[in-house]
Amino acid sequence: MQFSIQKEIYKNLSLIRKTQEEIIKRYHPADKMRCPMHFCVGQEIMPAVLGPLMIDEDSIYSHHRSHGYYIAKKGSINEMIAEFYGKETGSNGGLAGSQELSSTKIDFYSGTILSGAFAMALGGAFEKKYNQKKGIGISVIGDGGMEEGIVYESLNMATQMNLPILYICENNSYSTHTTLKQRTLENKPSNRVKNFNMKTTYFDGNDPDKLFNLMKSIVKKIRDTKKPHFVEINTYRFNGHVGPEGDDHFNYRSKKEINHWIKNDPIKFYEKKLFSKSRKLLALKKKINDKNFKIIDRAFRFAEKSKFPKRYENNNFKATYKNVKKFYNNSISFGTVQEDHKPKPY
Amino acid sequence: MKKKKILTFGQAINEALDQAMSRDKSVFVFGQGVDKTGHVFHSTEGLLKKYKKKRIFDTPNSEQAETMLALGASLNGKLRPVLIHHRVDFMAYTFDQLVNWISLWSFKSSKKSYAPLVIRAIIGRGWGQGPQHAKTLHTMFSYLPGLRVVMPSSPSEAKGMMLSSIASNDPVIFLEYRALYNTKELVPTERFYIDLDQPRLRLKGNSLTLVAAGTSVLTSLKAAEILYKEKKIKIDLFDLRSISKMNLKKIIESVKKTKRLVLVEDGWKNFGYSSEIITQIVENKIKLAEAPQRICWPNSHVPMSAPLEKDFYFDEHDIVKACKKVLKEKLIHSN
Ligand SMILES: Cc1ncc(C[n+]2csc(CCOP(=O)(O)OP(=O)(O)O)c2C)c(N)n1
Repeated sequence: MQFSIQKEIYKNLSLIRKTQEEIIKRYHPADKMRCPMHFCVGQEIMPAVLGPLMIDEDSIYSHHRSHGYYIAKKGSINEMIAEFYGKETGSNGGLAGSQELSSTKIDFYSGTILSGAFAMALGGAFEKKYNQKKGIGISVIGDGGMEEGIVYESLNMATQMNLPILYICENNSYSTHTTLKQRTLENKPSNRVKNFNMKTTYFDGNDPDKLFNLMKSIVKKIRDTKKPHFVEINTYRFNGHVGPEGDDHFNYRSKKEINHWIKNDPIKFYEKKLFSKSRKLLALKKKINDKNFKIIDRAFRFAEKSKFPKRYENNNFKATYKNVKKFYNNSISFGTVQEDHKPKPY
Repeated sequence: MKKKKILTFGQAINEALDQAMSRDKSVFVFGQGVDKTGHVFHSTEGLLKKYKKKRIFDTPNSEQAETMLALGASLNGKLRPVLIHHRVDFMAYTFDQLVNWISLWSFKSSKKSYAPLVIRAIIGRGWGQGPQHAKTLHTMFSYLPGLRVVMPSSPSEAKGMMLSSIASNDPVIFLEYRALYNTKELVPTERFYIDLDQPRLRLKGNSLTLVAAGTSVLTSLKAAEILYKEKKIKIDLFDLRSISKMNLKKIIESVKKTKRLVLVEDGWKNFGYSSEIITQIVENKIKLAEAPQRICWPNSHVPMSAPLEKDFYFDEHDIVKACKKVLKEKLIHSN
């Protein structure tokens, strides 16, 4: 592994986590970010390693737990925090919030209605193939989203149409507070996908380098063959399902389970692997984290300073046309009286 | 005089698709069975030969995924998909895609992103299509902000409106009554665009204002003919064209003049465009000489059986009757 790539992965890991920790910290009592948020603390590893593997022409279609992928795609942190504040400088102009965080600048789209974005990747990948672009569609979903019917329509069409899509299923074993076992007898979503004749890969581990090498070959293959590939990663969210508040007081998961995952936190693992060997490396780690903190802190100041949008109702329609110079003159009659129709069987 | 040719409704749509595809490489057509056999009432005939599999293709029976494919492909005008459903009833499967994704796409990005896609869907109406194949869901779609819902009434209207729908940077639901496919009209051969937001004044007259859309325009034209033959009555007949973005300025002016209003709608009576127009007339404080009349479908699902079906749908005579009702006073005076 090149150290420069490892550094980038670490920077991503830390930026994703720190951003969320800061949001959680500053959420109350200020209450200036007034929208539901699904944090991905604990689940940063996949977006972090994808960071160096993505090109500008790739697009992402993500489920609600999307912050990590937005950051890994180099989305502006200023615009992200401003969006959560509901300000006009936000990535969506302040009208959508965290649940539907999107940015045309980086071709990143998310939504909180389960599995819709997963299906949208079909169109994104189709467009890239149609226009002979290098990019691929990246589609992110949770284990819960994998239970919706549209998922199976999409997987079938992706293979049948040979579309360049990287499917990622972040299996964190829970849909809100319901365990996977309570919802299905097949607890590896990727097993269901195999039946569509799609290549699948299952990853369980906390070493970002291992995941990077795996994803590097998969992404290359998708770019070369223009065929979809489905990757399931076994992961865990440390935070509650939604909001800055924890939800472990509901006792829907065991302390033992939580502690096991926190002990194997990929970020802690990586810090030890990369930076523990010398003082110089430790200083480098601090430098990366200080820089990340500056980015985040600046974003909060940017959001505070920004204004709320003045209007919203004019955004429902674009109300423009491509290539149309003028409309047909209504006062000109089209011609003869319309001839009647003769009903015909189907 | 511009060049014109007699075309059926299906041929007119075909010409529009062909002219849109030849002008703009980003236009493509897809849906279940659209490149085969019936060619969607001849409306896609010849396109496969000319534009190949890349630009017109068949899909599995997956309406939801098809709809999201259209959305993803259309983002910011990268492509301009035309998705076809053989019956509008099939779109019930795609309610989530319309309600939670497509209709709010422009809104939630503050117009930074847009989705110029067209969904063509056919309203089965008639010939025993029954409860699952004859619905028209135009008001259901129109209730959502962000969707353009249009219903052409004739071959020329269909051609101009299809070209405008494809060129529009908004998502458009293009509803086609099956009963119109065999109607014929002189259609301009050039590529022309119709302003989707402007209702068209089909007939001019002073005695009453009649508003219709889709098939009900044709039935109303027949009714107007009878009224003229019998009583020399001339009416203002408006074709709404767009259901979701009704621009009622001209219609309101007309009602101010005639003080009489008849609404004709091939769809259920409750919550239809007819109800909406009456509401807006009332809100504009326009005093009517007689209570407005609504000619719509009963608030019931559609029966299959031929005699019941005949009873279910209105015809031109029902419209004539309603017109006479709002003209009551006038008729007495002129007799
Ligand atoms: C269509 C739909 N049904 C239900 C919900 C409510 N909901 C939001 S998140 C969620 C859990 C989804 O679990 P998963 O896909 O595994 O993602 P995770 O939250 O675990 O990251 C549910 C049920 C929704 N947003 N959309």
